[in-house]
This record gives sequence, C-alpha cells and structure tokens, in this order.
Amino acid sequence: SLAGPGGDMQWCFSQVKGAIDDDVAEADIISTVEFNHTGELLATGDKGGRVVIFQQEIENKNPPQFRSEYNVYSTFQSHEPEFDYLKSLEIEEKINKIRWLPQKNAAQFLLSTNDKTIKLWKISERDKRPEGYNLKEEDGRYKDPNTITSLRVPVLIPMDLMVEASPRRVFANAHTYHINSISVNSDNETYLSADDLRINLWHLEITDRSFNIVDIKPANMEELTEVITAAEFHPHQCNTFVYSSSKGTIRLCDMRASALCDKHSKLFEEPEDPSNRSFFSEIISSISDVKFSHNGRYMMTRDYLSVKIWDLNMENRPVETYQVHEYLRSKLCSLYENDCIFDKFECCWNGNDSVVMTGSYNNFFRMFDRGHRRDVTLEASRENSKPMQVLKPRKVCAGGKRKKDEISVDSLDFNKKILHTAWHPQDNIIAVATTNNLYIFQDKVI
Amino acid sequence: AQNTFGEMMECAFDAQNLISISLRKIQSSRTQRGGIKLHKNLLVTYVLRNARQFYMSKNLSQTQRTHQYEDVAAVREKQEYLELTGSFKELADDFYCNFTGVESDTWHCGAHQPNDQPAEVAHQDASACAMVSPSDSDLMVSEACWSCVDKSSWELPIPNTQTNQKTVLDLDTHVVTTVTNGYFHSDCCAQPKQPQGAQCYAKKRKMDTSYHIVDPEFYLPDFGPVPCKRMRTDDESNLDSDQLDSSNISNLISVLGSGGLSEFVSWQQTDLEQIFATQTICLKHTLLTGSGWTRAIEAF
Repeated sequence: SLAGPGGDMQWCFSQVKGAIDDDVAEADIISTVEFNHTGELLATGDKGGRVVIFQQEIENKNPPQFRSEYNVYSTFQSHEPEFDYLKSLEIEEKINKIRWLPQKNAAQFLLSTNDKTIKLWKISERDKRPEGYNLKEEDGRYKDPNTITSLRVPVLIPMDLMVEASPRRVFANAHTYHINSISVNSDNETYLSADDLRINLWHLEITDRSFNIVDIKPANMEELTEVITAAEFHPHQCNTFVYSSSKGTIRLCDMRASALCDKHSKLFEEPEDPSNRSFFSEIISSISDVKFSHNGRYMMTRDYLSVKIWDLNMENRPVETYQVHEYLRSKLCSLYENDCIFDKFECCWNGNDSVVMTGSYNNFFRMFDRGHRRDVTLEASRENSKPMQVLKPRKVCAGGKRKKDEISVDSLDFNKKILHTAWHPQDNIIAVATTNNLYIFQDKVI
Repeated sequence: AQNTFGEMMECAFDAQNLISISLRKIQSSRTQRGGIKLHKNLLVTYVLRNARQFYMSKNLSQTQRTHQYEDVAAVREKQEYLELTGSFKELADDFYCNFTGVESDTWHCGAHQPNDQPAEVAHQDASACAMVSPSDSDLMVSEACWSCVDKSSWELPIPNTQTNQKTVLDLDTHVVTTVTNGYFHSDCCAQPKQPQGAQCYAKKRKMDTSYHIVDPEFYLPDFGPVPCKRMRTDDESNLDSDQLDSSNISNLISVLGSGGLSEFVSWQQTDLEQIFATQTICLKHTLLTGSGWTRAIEAF
C-alpha cells in the first residue's frame, strides 16, 4: 500500500535512462514498457522498432537497505519499417507491445509486436568460448594441415558476457488491421493477438497459422460502430480472456464455449452519466487499456479520464472508479484539437493488487491505493533526479486561487505525457516512461 | 446542458468548428505513416455526428420560427453562411453526405424532368461522390459544383430533419452552408458551378453513408491513402505517375465500373448534410459522368 510505517509511502528517484537533450528523436520515443515475471528484466520498445532490455543488479540484498540498479542487458532491432506494395501502405516499425514468456530454461523469451507482425525473441547469454581448435588459428584462419603434428580437444574458456537476441519465430500476415495487444496464455503454449476488429490465437511453436477467435467486423463496414482496443488472457484460467472496446465495454469470453468467441460470456458496461454528455463522450469512454489483477479476481480499465476496477462477478458497474485528471473535462475541445484526447494511457497493478498506477500529462503519474482510499500525483522530471531524491506529491489547481506549489491546468505541458508505466511484480520498484526517457523509482529506504 | 441562447450560439459555433476540425483530421489521417487508423477515425466520426446533431437541433429551432416554404432567394439571404475557420489547404475532398435514413438502390433525378417525375438512373455508389479534389486534375476526382434546375420541376417533400439534412462544405468557396434538400443530384449539371439562386432536384443517393476509413481489405492498390489536396509540385506528380501503371488503372476501372467505391470516403450516419426547407443544392461529381471518368484516365 502507499502507507508506510511513518504514514504515506514515499517514492524516490533511482535511475533515468535515455537521452538528456530536449530535442527528442522520434525513433527514441518509448512505446512500451514491461517487467518480466521475476522483475529481474525490464524491457522497453520504441518507435524506431528497437527493444532495450535492462537487467537488475542488486547491490545490497538485505532489507531495508535493499537497493538495486537496472543496467542495459541487451539491445536489438526487433522490427524494421515495411512497405506493403499491394496496398501502398507503409507499416510502422514502432513496437506496440512486449510480453515476456515465463522462463523455462537459461534463455529468456519475449514477444514483441508492431502493427502487423509478432516476433518471438530468444535472449541468451554466452559467457564461454571455445579455444584450441586443431584446424584453425585463434584468429580464424585455417591452418595448413601439413603443419599439424598433434591433436588436442578444444576447451571452453570464460569470456566477457555476451547477450544475444535472436528471432526464433515470426508470426506474420494474420492481421489486416493494426495490432494493439498481445497476451501470453497461462498454459505457456498459446498467446493471443488483437487488432481493431479481430483476435487471433496462436501456438508459440507454429507460425504459419492462427485461429481467429473473435471477429467483430461487420459484413458491411458502413455499420461499424466499435473497435477492439485491448485484450488479455486471464492470469490463471487458460480458457478465459477479455477484450475492451472503443465504446467502453469489456467482454469476457470463454474459449470452451465455442470456437469463435463472438458471443461473450460476460459484458461489463457502466451506463453513461447523461449529465456528462458532450461532443466527446464517445472518445473519452473508449477504453485504452485493460489489465487483470494478479489474483485474477478483478480487472482494471483505463479510459481517457478515469481508471475503473471491475469485479469479474459484477457486470453492471465497476466496483471502484478513480479520476485521473478530471480537471481536463472542461478542456476536451482543445484536447480534441491537439489530438491529445486520442492518447492511449496504460495502467498497471502492483504485486499484491493493492495499488494501481497510470500516467497523465506534464510528466505526472498517479497512484491509487485501493485499500486506504488514498491517491498521489508524482512527477518524473530531470529536476527531481538526484540520487535517492524523494518525490514530492504534486497537485493540480483546477480553478480558483492557486496555492503555492500547485500547478494550474493551463500550465500543464500536454506534450509531456506518460502513457506507459510498469510495476515490478514483487517489489516496490516502478518504471515510468516519459516521451523518450525511462525513469525508475523505488520506495524510500527508512 | 445549454440554458441561455448565448450559450447555445456559442455551442453552435463550436459545433461548426468541430466539424471543420474533424474533417481536417480525417483528411490528414490518410497521409499518415502506417496507414489510416481505424480507431481514431471512428472516434472522429462520432464527434462529427454529435456536432451535426447539435447543429441540426439548433438550426431546426431557428427554422421553426420562419415559414417553411419560403422563396429560395429570401431564404438564402437569411441563410447564415458560416465561414469555417482554419486552413482548408489540407482538405482534399469535398465531403458531403446524403443522409436520408432510407436506403435506395436508385438515383432519383428530378432535374430536367418535364413530367415532374423523378427519373431513376443507374445506381452509383454514393461514396464515390465524396472523393473530390477540386484543385488537382491529376487526381481521379473532380470538383463539386452547385447548379440549378428549373424550378418548375422541383418538388420538395416536407422537410424532415431526421432524413433530409445537409451541411455541405464547399472547398472552393470555403463555405459551409446548410440546406434543405430532399435529394441531391450527382449528375444533373453539366455547367460549371453556379451557386447563386440555385435550386434543383438532387438525386437521392444510395445510402452508402458509412465513413469508410478505406477498409484495407478492399483497398485499391494504386490510390493508397488518398491523394493529398495540396498543390502538387512537378516532382510529386512524377512520383505518382510512376506509381500508376496500366494494371493499376485497369483495376481501378473494374472497381469503378462495378460500383464498388465503398472504399472511398462516404459517411456513416455521422454525415454532414443538413437540409433546410426550400433550398436545394445540386452537387456535381464529374467522377460519375463519362467526362469525369475520362478525365481521370487521361490524367494518368
């Protein structure tokens, strides 16, 4: 929870990754952030199609002095820009999502996807190399066989650690529309990929076919009223997955019911408050992210202004609703004009499902403590980046007289947005992505 | 909720503004890298629909205070020509929608019909008409025009705001006008644009009114994400002509011939047409005429 022994929990700055200068190269814009299942590895994907993996190195294992640092472990180019000549379309190399597979052996595996193609990457370590070949010199040149007078067995000698990433599978040509989600099944054999209108089920070993399990494309595209915005498998029930829509609904599907899960098992929807009706009601109710809780009993959705927690057993309304930045409701017209209203914020749970986190503008991010009904606004900025510096809670002044240290809505920088955040699966370590920097914060050591 | 008239007027202006902003977004989305984003464009059409509905309701309350069947000229004088703000340079197409609420397989052309009977002409997919690029003859589509038909042949049903509403965005004059029209005409005028004193029967288009964000599965290969309106330099024209080869053109012909033009812009229920009593506007789309088509081919 956010409350520590002394009261509210405090977060402090740990590290920041990425370029310092203000001139952001578009390729460096971070587009996804994901911890692996142990939290030892932290992966980011960017608009340029690159994946960077950081590895945690623990400096001091003993609590409460527990300190760790994430350092670059591997960097590789996952996707390249492609051109679909038939449709005269360029396919962006931007990494939309990364999902880790649970570790089965020494190597690590992750799925990364752009708009059209999913790839399975194997990340493995090499810390030994062979030495003492009979037919080759050390530099690789072949020896003249006539000069060989004796034979020896080559040996493996230690070398500097080398981390290699190699693409093991490429899952292509299954999506006409833009892929927005991938999710690994708890069976560790299958995964789903979702685009605007369809969801496909894959086997991790098989790349030349996938099964379509959801298809909401109408026979006549003129009748299109909603698209799929996110999808995720249940963390424990391998037959269950959910998908969210642009209309603010979430459908839970059971793959045992039928091959094509067009009929949902459950439909989660909250009726709209008519007093809030505006030109932009449809836009702000569109769900940008859906995440199951770790315990599998709840799911969280993010729409433009709020985070909602749903009990899987109650379809007609969420059990909790948190306002992320309600002060933006009166600014929707401007946010529509500058396209910010289309920003897709993600959300995440902490390890024990007691706190949820999501991003906002001005490099602010928000945490909601479900148990204690407390929330806090923090900022990821270079100004607050001294080692172990405690983050001061921020407050936005919606109207009226602005207090000291408050920031008025009109001063918010809407170019500085935090769309992607991730929480370590066990510890209070969070990764927060600003446009091109990755901030890592830890809870304060007493 | 708007309580005061002032607030309503403000909102009406906002609605107008929103319509133009939305159109611009849709247009610019076509030239975006990565292809058209279905989700975003769908959301934009909802804003368009909401803005239109508000605009309609506001204008309806206005017209209820005036006579229903007034002289066209008088109405035009009263008509607010709302200038849209912002730059229209990026708007390549003449967006208009024919929202009738009723699907019709045939066109009813009221123009030039001595017996006052609407003539039925072969169905053309209404969505084709939405694709016009007024300033660039290199592109397939052509300008919209206003023309008039003999008043005697004009009959207008009692305006029904639910079905005959048009806001037409004229890219040449940069004017949005709200007109009442039972139908509009895609092929009734061979003469150039004559916006003054115009009234004519317009064909009732088939309600192909979906906003098609260029469904990728029915993509025309050679048109890509829709040509951009801005004046093309020689370099650009050359580039495009390289992209268009004879096989692409024959694909295009077959698609156009079969009427399968749904991949071009047409509006879903979120259309922009508002029709006010007594005023009719005909929209010419030379695309659908033989001459327009020929021009399109010749451009390549």
